[in-house]
Amino acid sequence: MILASRILDGVTQGLNIVGSALIVGLMAIIGADVIGRGVFGTPLPGVPEMVSLSIVAIVFLQIPAAMRGGRLTRSDAVIDRLAAARPGLTRWIETAFDLTAIFIIWVIVSSTWPLFERSWRRGDFVGAIGDFTAPTWPVKFIIMLGCSVMILQFAARILRRFLSDGEQPA
Amino acid sequence: MTPFEIGLIALAAMGVLVLMGLWVPIALMVWSFGGVWAIRGNATLAGKMLALSANDTLQSYYFGVVPLFVLMGFVVSESGMGRDAYDVANTVFRRIRGGLGLGTVGANAIFAAITGISIASAAVFTRIAVPQMLRHGYTARFAVGVVAGSSVLGMLIPPSLLLILYGVITEQSIGHLFLAGVGPGLLLACVFGIGVVLAATFLPTRVQPGRMDGDEIAGLPPREMLIKGLPIALLIVFVLGGIYGGWFTPVEAGAMGAIGALVIGFAKRSLSLAGLWRILVETGLVTAAVCFLIIAAQMYGKMLAFSGIPAGFGELAAHANLGLMGLMILYIAIVVVMGMILDSSSIMLILVPIMLPVLAPMNVDLIWFGIVTVIAIEIGLLTPPFGLSVYVIKSTLDDPTITLGDIFAGAFPFALMMLLVLALVIAFPVIATGLL
Amino acid sequence: AGHPPVFRWVRVLPEVFEPAVNAALEGSGYDVAFDNQFGGAIAKVGEELETVGEGLAEIGTIQALFDPAKLAIQNVTYYTPFVTADPRAIQELMGKLHLEAEGMQQAYDDENIVYLGAPTVIDDYLLMTNFPVNSMADLEGRRIAAPGAAVNWLSGTGAVGVSGNLTTYYNEIQTGVYDGVLVFASAALPGKLYEVAPYITKLGLGAQFAGVIGANKDWYDGLPEEVQQALRTGADAAADWYMADLEAFVDVAFTKMAEAGATITEASPTMRAEWATNMDNVARTWAAQLDGQGLPATAMLKTYMDGMRAAGATPLRDWDKE
Ligand code: NA
Ligand code: NA
Repeated sequence: MILASRILDGVTQGLNIVGSALIVGLMAIIGADVIGRGVFGTPLPGVPEMVSLSIVAIVFLQIPAAMRGGRLTRSDAVIDRLAAARPGLTRWIETAFDLTAIFIIWVIVSSTWPLFERSWRRGDFVGAIGDFTAPTWPVKFIIMLGCSVMILQFAARILRRFLSDGEQPA
Repeated sequence: MTPFEIGLIALAAMGVLVLMGLWVPIALMVWSFGGVWAIRGNATLAGKMLALSANDTLQSYYFGVVPLFVLMGFVVSESGMGRDAYDVANTVFRRIRGGLGLGTVGANAIFAAITGISIASAAVFTRIAVPQMLRHGYTARFAVGVVAGSSVLGMLIPPSLLLILYGVITEQSIGHLFLAGVGPGLLLACVFGIGVVLAATFLPTRVQPGRMDGDEIAGLPPREMLIKGLPIALLIVFVLGGIYGGWFTPVEAGAMGAIGALVIGFAKRSLSLAGLWRILVETGLVTAAVCFLIIAAQMYGKMLAFSGIPAGFGELAAHANLGLMGLMILYIAIVVVMGMILDSSSIMLILVPIMLPVLAPMNVDLIWFGIVTVIAIEIGLLTPPFGLSVYVIKSTLDDPTITLGDIFAGAFPFALMMLLVLALVIAFPVIATGLL
Repeated sequence: AGHPPVFRWVRVLPEVFEPAVNAALEGSGYDVAFDNQFGGAIAKVGEELETVGEGLAEIGTIQALFDPAKLAIQNVTYYTPFVTADPRAIQELMGKLHLEAEGMQQAYDDENIVYLGAPTVIDDYLLMTNFPVNSMADLEGRRIAAPGAAVNWLSGTGAVGVSGNLTTYYNEIQTGVYDGVLVFASAALPGKLYEVAPYITKLGLGAQFAGVIGANKDWYDGLPEEVQQALRTGADAAADWYMADLEAFVDVAFTKMAEAGATITEASPTMRAEWATNMDNVARTWAAQLDGQGLPATAMLKTYMDGMRAAGATPLRDWDKE
């Protein structure tokens, strides 16, 4: 159990690192485009396309880590007060929230699958032939990957909550 | 049930769950899914809507640079440039009550000239300004309030992605819209500044209870001021010079600013590779949290569009037969109410096309109307339950002792000051159109 | 529709298409109630195809221009510049090819969309610059922005092609990021581009096919015959109105830009010939790549060029024959 949880956190951290590396990549290609265009008269082709695909990838690579780190936006005033007064009830409410999240993110994963499958099969791309093109399936794959890891992280929250038996409230 | 009723129920139910502590993006997604399912009677269709939004919402060059603007801010903070800048500001403003608040508003006005998005301002100044204001004895509520409030300057002072969007919808010159944003932007910054000083003077316990008199604080000697102020000044000159000198676009400024900040940080030897890696990861987490929220907000906006509620409100204003002044008041009221629950671009995309044919026979200056619309929409960044600037500050802070409620409360006076400026721009259109 | 209703190809839906559909249904006992969602509320620009295909909307403006992968062979005009400056010629031919040419219907079918009609066309692309242009030498080293596939038109001209976006041209020319743009008159006037790029050179780069009105296939297949027919009649009415409105507006645009001080010149035949000759033949690259994906792109290129020549156009390059 502990091993599984460690592996999950390791994967989450791995995706996070890839996402951070992509941010550096973004900075580098825009920088190269600006300098290439301004100084050498040779802009990089396809920068807008690369940037707009990368941002989606960055977000879905890093959202599991953001969730694990407690960064998903929530209003904690009521639930914190409730946790102090009724810890037992609060654990069930938190679990209901986790299950809700698992459900809705599963909807996203399963509805993205046909889009991914079609994009893969048909070789869909963005950009213009002759100038620059990039395939669209990798981003759809990353959406499913990031969401799947996030689902596991929500499930891990439930397990940790009940295995630790009340020592760790959330 | 009619789509309209379904929309209203989805609104109310969401408010309750968010208050109870369900993550805001999850709540938005659940009700978008449920709402579209109920309206269109088809769960598969509702799922497809979520999947398409997850894929398409962020897929643009404009969103692509969000992490880079955030990274630039974090480098400024990590390398000590932010702290130095506040030491300089504290010396300059030390005899004025609320001086650092004033400095934050001013710094935001300058940063607004290099960023096109308010959320970048909010993330950056949360990192730079909030710790410095706390260090100098300001209350947390005031510190986050000033940051939230002055972040709206990012969308009003050019460049502004919201004004670009308005220009596209209405076929108005984006250059003219940018010029028209300058006056109201500076006026708003002045009103914020005056508000900060007044609050610090008359409500000192709410602003800076630990304030010492200016004479008791040792000001920095001029040499020290120069050493501390120069790096940040260099960065600003680099970015502004790059944009207005034709080297790069406002969108590219995020990347160039981050590169510039890195170069200065390494040159100062105040930035280590380990430190850089730490802020890179941090940039990713903040970007992911904020962008996930934006995706969810867009899903919610689409669900509401299907329900017809926003269009219904728009039609209400459009057909009320009130004359220009009455129409503007009703329009602003509707924008402000929608600002509570929707994100900025959704409001603009839904309402402006409805208003255009109504305004056409009244000979309204569409540049002026654009500025009025942007100010009214940006009030929504600060108002609960969905206030994007406030959420950005919360995700960037990573400090559990400062609650969402604190930030909303701190931002509230700034929302009121925005209303005041809005009234001035409506009463005296020359504030916006004077530069044209 | 992702664009707001100020745009001609969106405005045509409530103002012409919808009334025409219901007029055609008069007396049939059927009636279509339209719920308009324009300007990005449910689908942003470029998302219309998926939104209609997936059934989130029933009818939409399907913009081939923004989906070069899914509606690949529809984009033939963007790979064949210097063919015709007349938008009406493109509308007529593309309308015909939609019904007759191999692979056209298939592309919509693959996306679960039914082509209703009303090919929308963009008027002739112009070169607008902040410096006077008299010969190709004037373009040497200048940065010229162009959208999507049109960047290819700048290959071999000596100018630096930068991919750009209509919404920000004004500012970027003003600050000097670009020295000029390839853009069409009906967008240059409302975008006030003549203020920052007052030298307008007509080169006959060409009018372009942009998109059509399409419907969700599942929904369409479930409709009674009369309604299906009425939707097509509505689309035909939309096509006529669109073209008349566009042509009138292009005239107004040139007059107004000239009044505002813009210098409008026709490029010399030498310059046009020099530009066209020096260009890479991207049409071949395009056709070869799509052929590789099993699409009839080479056939489309030939059919399109033949159709244009038959209609009396005199292309500066016979892209299909080289
Ligand atoms: Na700005
Ligand atoms: Na709000």
